[in-house]
Amino acid sequence: MSLDDFVAFSSEVTGFTEFDLLGTGQAQSYRDTVAGVVGEQGLAELLSAYRREVTELSDEQLRAEQLTRSVLGDPRLGPLARNIIKLWYCGVWFGLPGHEDTFTASPQAYPQGLLWYAIGANPPGARAPGYGSWAGPPRIPALPASPIPRSLTRNPSAG
Amino acid sequence: MIFPEGASARTSPAAVAGRVYDVVIVGAGIAGAVIADRLSREGRSVLVLEAAPAEDLTIKGYEAYLTDFYAAASKDNQSPYPVIEPVPMPRSTDARPIRPGGPNTNGYLVQNGPHSTDTTYTRVLGGTTMHWEGKILRMLPQDFELAEQRGQGPKWPLGYADLEPFYREAEREIGVSADIEDQRYLGLTYPPNYVFPMRGLPPSYLDQMVARGVDGTRVELDGEEFSLKVRPFPQGRNGIPNPAYDAGRGFVPVGAVSTSQVDEGERCQGNNNCVPLCPVQAKYHAGKTLAKALDRNVDLLAQSVAYQVHTDPETGRVTQIEYRHYHDPNSAEYQTGFARGRTYVLATNAIENARLMLASGLQSRSDLVGRNLMDHAYLLTWALLPEIAGTMRGTNCTSGIVDLRGGRFRRDQASFSIDIHNDGWGWPTGAPVSDLVRIVDQNTYGFDLRRSLVDQVSRQLLFAHMIEVLAEPENRVTVDPRYRDRLGNMRPVISFRVPDYTMRGAAFARRLSRQLFERLGAQDHTSYDPSEYGYVEFEGEGYRILGGNHLAGTHIMGTSPGTSVVDDNQRSWEHENLYLVGGGSMPTIGTANTTVTATALCLRTARHLLHELRHQDQPVALATH
Repeated sequence: MSLDDFVAFSSEVTGFTEFDLLGTGQAQSYRDTVAGVVGEQGLAELLSAYRREVTELSDEQLRAEQLTRSVLGDPRLGPLARNIIKLWYCGVWFGLPGHEDTFTASPQAYPQGLLWYAIGANPPGARAPGYGSWAGPPRIPALPASPIPRSLTRNPSAG
Repeated sequence: MIFPEGASARTSPAAVAGRVYDVVIVGAGIAGAVIADRLSREGRSVLVLEAAPAEDLTIKGYEAYLTDFYAAASKDNQSPYPVIEPVPMPRSTDARPIRPGGPNTNGYLVQNGPHSTDTTYTRVLGGTTMHWEGKILRMLPQDFELAEQRGQGPKWPLGYADLEPFYREAEREIGVSADIEDQRYLGLTYPPNYVFPMRGLPPSYLDQMVARGVDGTRVELDGEEFSLKVRPFPQGRNGIPNPAYDAGRGFVPVGAVSTSQVDEGERCQGNNNCVPLCPVQAKYHAGKTLAKALDRNVDLLAQSVAYQVHTDPETGRVTQIEYRHYHDPNSAEYQTGFARGRTYVLATNAIENARLMLASGLQSRSDLVGRNLMDHAYLLTWALLPEIAGTMRGTNCTSGIVDLRGGRFRRDQASFSIDIHNDGWGWPTGAPVSDLVRIVDQNTYGFDLRRSLVDQVSRQLLFAHMIEVLAEPENRVTVDPRYRDRLGNMRPVISFRVPDYTMRGAAFARRLSRQLFERLGAQDHTSYDPSEYGYVEFEGEGYRILGGNHLAGTHIMGTSPGTSVVDDNQRSWEHENLYLVGGGSMPTIGTANTTVTATALCLRTARHLLHELRHQDQPVALATH
């Protein structure tokens, strides 16, 4: 499975655009981290299920239901999918049954965590916002226009 | 701040063996650093023994701490600092509830209980100022008179007025940011026209929101009425220099320390990571003072763990300090060395000072070495505010409520100050990562995940009540030859019970926070789990009391050898040329983080030492007939 497939899936489950995700510089490292723990086969199964069950649906409601049922709700794929979300959000791979180790993907992963960006803050100890920035209200970034990854829309150049 | 190149390796055990220094200092934290600095200014020869490895302080070395912090999956308050075999240190992750039948020997501290503490200190060059938060309150004048005014705690041999000039000197050394008009309350006084070196850090958006709900709240306690107000704390980190400082001469902030000039750290950037490590060194750490001292030929001998203080059995005078010098931080192999001086200063911290004295067989006749161990008791309460408060931004804590630091009620119950934590529920719950995990595990993803995080993290409010603990002889540090570290040093054995006086303060704090949450329209989420360490039952209710890393009291100062270990100069009553310095000398700790008071005491001791050494230098006048 290609890096693009991994990033498209990640975009939909994290709620960030592929552009945002690639901008962290961590995509390849995270893909390799996941494959390193569950194997290429394990990752391919997840991404194929997503492609097969979800990507063809254009109705957002149906798409959400199907993603929840076939991917997140799947006893084998769900824990893996949730771990990928957590990885993007805080740089940590959390131990799973059979793969008990909890670790940070790399020292650079933590400063790129989406968790803090999502709430208008900075990861403590990184990406300092500047003296006095804390005195004003938080600037919480707007959500993308659509939850559907742009690379999966029929006409990627449109909109 | 330039660190003199090569200064960390200027001497060796062999070179040290051939010298008698004016002063041998054990410990390169803030206490040892300021004494070394002041003595070397006047040309005194000084040796600093440091247990931890010490290379020249450089940006590269500092960033290795930062990288380790980034890489750590568990970001506890010691996570940036390497754990090495010869110099173990306490870590909050080692704390466990203590089961009947034996102590918890899991971590470096052997814990006898009944209370299990997660208190820590950092055994690296610069000591615990590497990981401290840098909130820097002076003690109140009434904190020095608690015994006289309220009949509580041992007496101080000096008062606020005696220490005031040294508080100012400490505030210069550390570089304190605060606006003087915010720091006049409960009798805190300053000379006319005094201002802090730098202007106060702006209160956070969260502070401002809390202030709108809390300011003007009336509280009655022991017949006195208090009006609460959210107030900024003085900070040991760089802000905007105040041009009015020092009679208009201003102040130049001290930035990052390295062997070459680095333009970093001259102002706080809001990293929200004061604990465990300020990434830019805007927060003071003792390396800033050490760099100055080492530039004046102070000798630093690192990787040398003090093992025993040797004394002359006749005179009680210290003759030498035996230390264990290791070559390899990954091995427990060592060679024994000896350091000799005219005077000796133990500046390791309250637990380690007592540990070293007791391991050397130097219990005082008063049996007070190691007793009266104190540390602030922290009670946390947490809630969700009705609106987005922008939590998780700023320094760890910019403001709090200090109106209950003093009052008549102290005859019955502990005073406390309340910190408003800008890092949300991080301390008790592991937020925001724990929130992320919980929300994702509910199969919430994508946009809903982002919305939930904003909703559940950016509204978090945490009050940390820093509650006074009084000296109790049974709260103590001892040693036991059965418990040793890999270098053969006896480990500290801690016995601690949270005094009822403190718990009455905690119970009041819990009730008050319910009232304040209600005023703020905040939903209380506080809960204390009986199966976790730190759980205390008091008068039918459960609480969790956490450690404050404000260690004090194991060699308290006083006016006589029967009731204290050191005099008002921190000089041992029984060992004329030995000084036990730092928080351990404090008979009470009030509701002030201990560092600025400990530093002021050390600056006062430095002045005394200079006087003593000059006096000793004078030739003896022989009587003429």
